[in-house]
Amino acid sequence: MKRWLLATLCIGFTIFLAACNNEASSESSGNDGKTVIEYWHVNAETQGGQTVTQLVDDFNKQSDTVEVVAKYNPDMYKGLMQNMQAEAAAGNSPAVVQIGWAFLNYFSENFEYVSPQTVIDKHFPEEKTFLKDHFLPNVMDLAKNAKGDQVGIPYSLSSPVLYINRDMLKEAGLDENGPQTWEEVKSFSKEIKERTGKYGFYFQEPADNWATQALLESNGASFLTDGKATFASDEGIEAYQLLTDMIVKDKTALHIGWDQGVQSFIDGSVAMAYTTIAQRSNIQDNAQFDVAAVRSPIWEGKDAKLPAGGAMLAITAQEEEKQKAAWEFMSYLYSVEAMAEWTKGTGYVPPRHDVADAENGLKEYLKENEMMTAAIEQMDGVVPWASFPGDAGLQAEQLLLDLRDQLLKGSVSPKEGLEATEDEVNELLQ
Amino acid sequence: MSSLTAARRMLQINRENAIGYLLLVPSIIIFAVFTFWPIIYTVYLSFFDWNMISPTKEYVGLKNYIEVLSDPKTYRILGNTFLYIALLLVINCAIPYIFAFVIDIVLKKYKNFYKSALFLPAFISLVVGSILFTWMLNPVSGPLAIVFGWIGLEIPNWSKAEGWIIVVLSLITSWKIFGYNFILLYASINGISREIIEAAKLDNIPLWRIFIQIILPMSSATGIYVFIITIVQSLQYVFTPVKVVSQGGPDYASSNLIYHAYHEAFVVYRTGHSATLSIITMALFLLLLFLEFKFVERGVYYEN
Amino acid sequence: MRISRHAETIWHFIFMVTVLVMVFPIIYAFGMSFKPLEDAYNNVLNILPINASLENYRTLFASLPVLKITMNTFVVASVATVFKLVTSFLAAYAFVYFKFKGKEVIYFLLIGTIFIPFTVTMIPNYLIISEIGMLDSVWGVILPQLADAVGIFLIHQAMKNIPGSLIEVARLDNMGHGRIMKDIVLPLVRPAVTSVGIWFFIGTWNEFVWPVLVLKTTENYTLPLALQMFISSEGGTNFTVAMAVSVITMIIPLILYLSFQKYIIGTFTSSGIK
Repeated sequence: MKRWLLATLCIGFTIFLAACNNEASSESSGNDGKTVIEYWHVNAETQGGQTVTQLVDDFNKQSDTVEVVAKYNPDMYKGLMQNMQAEAAAGNSPAVVQIGWAFLNYFSENFEYVSPQTVIDKHFPEEKTFLKDHFLPNVMDLAKNAKGDQVGIPYSLSSPVLYINRDMLKEAGLDENGPQTWEEVKSFSKEIKERTGKYGFYFQEPADNWATQALLESNGASFLTDGKATFASDEGIEAYQLLTDMIVKDKTALHIGWDQGVQSFIDGSVAMAYTTIAQRSNIQDNAQFDVAAVRSPIWEGKDAKLPAGGAMLAITAQEEEKQKAAWEFMSYLYSVEAMAEWTKGTGYVPPRHDVADAENGLKEYLKENEMMTAAIEQMDGVVPWASFPGDAGLQAEQLLLDLRDQLLKGSVSPKEGLEATEDEVNELLQ
Repeated sequence: MSSLTAARRMLQINRENAIGYLLLVPSIIIFAVFTFWPIIYTVYLSFFDWNMISPTKEYVGLKNYIEVLSDPKTYRILGNTFLYIALLLVINCAIPYIFAFVIDIVLKKYKNFYKSALFLPAFISLVVGSILFTWMLNPVSGPLAIVFGWIGLEIPNWSKAEGWIIVVLSLITSWKIFGYNFILLYASINGISREIIEAAKLDNIPLWRIFIQIILPMSSATGIYVFIITIVQSLQYVFTPVKVVSQGGPDYASSNLIYHAYHEAFVVYRTGHSATLSIITMALFLLLLFLEFKFVERGVYYEN
Repeated sequence: MRISRHAETIWHFIFMVTVLVMVFPIIYAFGMSFKPLEDAYNNVLNILPINASLENYRTLFASLPVLKITMNTFVVASVATVFKLVTSFLAAYAFVYFKFKGKEVIYFLLIGTIFIPFTVTMIPNYLIISEIGMLDSVWGVILPQLADAVGIFLIHQAMKNIPGSLIEVARLDNMGHGRIMKDIVLPLVRPAVTSVGIWFFIGTWNEFVWPVLVLKTTENYTLPLALQMFISSEGGTNFTVAMAVSVITMIIPLILYLSFQKYIIGTFTSSGIK
């Protein structure tokens, strides 16, 4: 009898909870006639998630017409695309989405979107020149697809920087301002290994080719020329050779996953780490040594060419009313104050050119946070992230990742590997 | 046995079959909608070239099958899949069998402590386990690496080393599933009549022979179940650590068939290839299951 | 008994090591959840934090509606468990006590689904859930999980062990199937049902891939999803807060387990899962 009572209680409790649950969810969708739109982002709590929440809350408070619901998508831009995929298959779409640069072409070829300028022209004629006034052309170009259409507006901009452990450099008797060139990175790394026994360098290894592109293109190679893969040029091979030598031959660089690599830099097991400026607050807050971020190394006698990382905002709302609401929200996100908050919360470089020096922008902040300076200074040399066009674009991207695994393991030489992969990619892209 | 048949006959005389079907209706509805329809849909998709969103699907006949079956990657991944199965069978079927036997028959002290402690991780999510182990097993900075460093040992760079990666991911998976399998096997061994075992002990029969000649056959029904469930786990459960820790890399060295189907569908968006892989996986394992039913189940010992 | 002390000591040693490997990560997670992140990075070996603080939990409760999320998880796990048990019990009863056309085939088909990769069902299920408007709701997470092949299999195995004569007598007394189930079969297979139920509960409690697809707003999240909010490759993982979420995710199953330990292990032992 007691057991039955217990079971009944359990079921009763469950139903009670379920009821609470329903009530709460219907409550949250109550919104006095406002247009409700969804904003999809990838910002985990460690990567600006709190800033997203704050910006969205502030926006909702001040807007009488629009209510934004933010949805976090795990697993970065890839994860967001997966969710978009499922959503599109079900015939729905959010209103505003963050699209990672690697997905620029795939997104524009497969999803319904409207160019922000179109929405502005139609509903907000007074803001007609907003984009022209506040964004540099080379920055706007980042969000143009292979056909030259303006798909969205750059939002989260990052660039790769070299983080250095000054204490370890000093210990090894090296210049504590860090290496300027990739050649120096290699020799520094060797010195460090010899003098301290620890690893000299870590080159980020996420599931994309962003940092690799910076390494190769700074040496004069180019990933894509007229829609064809051209990374296997002499310069490309030379650049990759340097990295593989450090890992496979010298064994002075650490070959490991991204999280683990950063963990090892922060605890002082690796002296230098080449990774995104978005890691700044994580590294700055947790490293217990004299840490600095310096500009991305160049190749002897050449200019740096750094792909912009991060994402753009695109409008995927289908109904006019929602498109209008989407821009209302976006123009809020692109205001100087909101942009400044965004940079503070994430470490991203502001895409608007007039935020860094503005009093209500980042002026004070940058004075206090020197580590950001390197990233902002090198924005002049920023180039678009190579996004392979066509249906097979993502497979091409994947082939390059597979190649990285093979090269860093030492199972093929950079020359062989790059040439074979280039052929394979071009066959796919046809 | 005969009384059970008699009972069945009794039930049959009455309103019969109808009730039987009726009881199955809830399960069948759920399975039909959420399992069988998706299977049919997947078979259908395996004949098309599609990226899941474009409005047109292109019918390509057997092209997906030909491509998948002629791709050397498929065979590497198939090899990985069987390696996972082999490793997990040893760690989560063979070892818990022996452990259960030793704890139940050989040891006198701390039995309950061992049982509770080994079962504990079974209650924890594999996502948590994967994150935790990635951190703890960092070959340079993790606690294990540091402790090893004291005695002059180095941890292999497992996350980038072929072979090692499968071993480590199998261990992470095992951390979760070991206890459950162990407790099932323990339950079964514990249920074997003590008299037979005591008699064998009195006859001075060595323990390993007791295990092989008495324990194994008498607990074989559970043994088979654990065997099958381990194979399922090594297919399905391994997915979580693969996704969290290695994403199938380096260069597909840790991918298994299910992760690869996921990779094709959600990373490079080749729905047709993904569907084809799923169908091949399913066919392969249904064949194994069928063989099991046909040949192994015969020798299994059931009490009644 | 001819077991040498020696052998016994060796076995104790082996078990102690195994227990350590099994339990250490859990202790480690608990320890880390009370440490500042900086400390976690720089003193990996220091499990018991010198300067313990609730900071990580504060961060967590400030950024997520943790109670709501815990409740969602509870709803998903308990509703799915109850339904799975009921449907499995009914199906198992049908398979054991009835003879009907196509029984073997149906049984094989249902049990065969254990081997179906979830990649097969994920997208079509998403489409169905979306079609009936259950996206972003715990009910959408629950709906496809109302029946379970493993449950049918295990309860079926347990029922097979009930002596047929019991049922025979009951039928002769003109007992209905409802009463036979409730008064005869259920009490006899209760350990099996309970152990399977515990297993379902833990499984759905920790489930991850499917809820990620269905749930969108943080208010509707389940705990394993909350964990994802503190993991980011680009911004760096906040390991210590992630461990705080992990601890909250673990704590209910662990409390359940530790307080009913004897009963749970006893249940598995007598479940007749054979």
